[in-house]
Amino acid sequence: MPTVRLRDAEEYPEPARKAFELSKQWFGYDFPQPAAMSRVMAWDPHFGGPHGRAMKRAMSPGEFTRGEKEMVAAVVSGANACAY
Amino acid sequence: MAGDAPWYEAAMVVGITNALNVVADGLGPLMTPVKAGAEVAAVYDEIRAFYATGGDVPVPFGLAAHDPGYLGDLWAAARRAFGDNHLSRRLKTALAFAVSLTTRSAFGTAFHLGELRRLGVGERGTLEVVGVTQMFSSYTKIADTLQLEPDMGGIAPVDHSPAPAGEPPPR
Repeated sequence: MPTVRLRDAEEYPEPARKAFELSKQWFGYDFPQPAAMSRVMAWDPHFGGPHGRAMKRAMSPGEFTRGEKEMVAAVVSGANACAY
Repeated sequence: MAGDAPWYEAAMVVGITNALNVVADGLGPLMTPVKAGAEVAAVYDEIRAFYATGGDVPVPFGLAAHDPGYLGDLWAAARRAFGDNHLSRRLKTALAFAVSLTTRSAFGTAFHLGELRRLGVGERGTLEVVGVTQMFSSYTKIADTLQLEPDMGGIAPVDHSPAPAGEPPPR
């Protein structure tokens, strides 16, 4: 059970809702509500904005493909014992 | 990365990487690896060829060689895990490097960094792996601190194919 109440997309200001649309495109999946982490990061755009841009930059294809990087992300999450 | 097979492989890479790292980091400074002798010579030759090392085998194998039978099985598992299959050895090494960095394994980080370079991954590629590792080390801790529940598990389609060499499930 999350320790905070995750707000629905409608409870966020317009810029955050635009970011949720971009997030939907990034994942290529139509979530009923934006992913929990998207909503968490939108809570403070001064943190979530640059963090999200750094994340997107890190995940963009380079020497490794996006798919390969998703797998790296998955094993890092596993090593951190993160269920999310 | 479609289907389950790449993920099974990735999990096995993570497991064997951690197995090698815990022994190398924990016991490497305290115990002496076994020098090549008749009982382990063939396996040592395979290990040297796999990692293109001319001299000593990597520490965890040298320690495992105190029991040649155990070394043989450990090496067989490691070789299988890191060999090219659904995932390339290059990607598997990147996964091992990321896991080693995440778990603060001095042995694994240095070893797999060397392997990445030997396998042709440049500084840019290496730093890409570092960037993903760093960002997800942030992401996961934020999610854990707030005890978020997984909500992206349904994105990937279910793989209904059987286990290797197995039968399809009844419909």
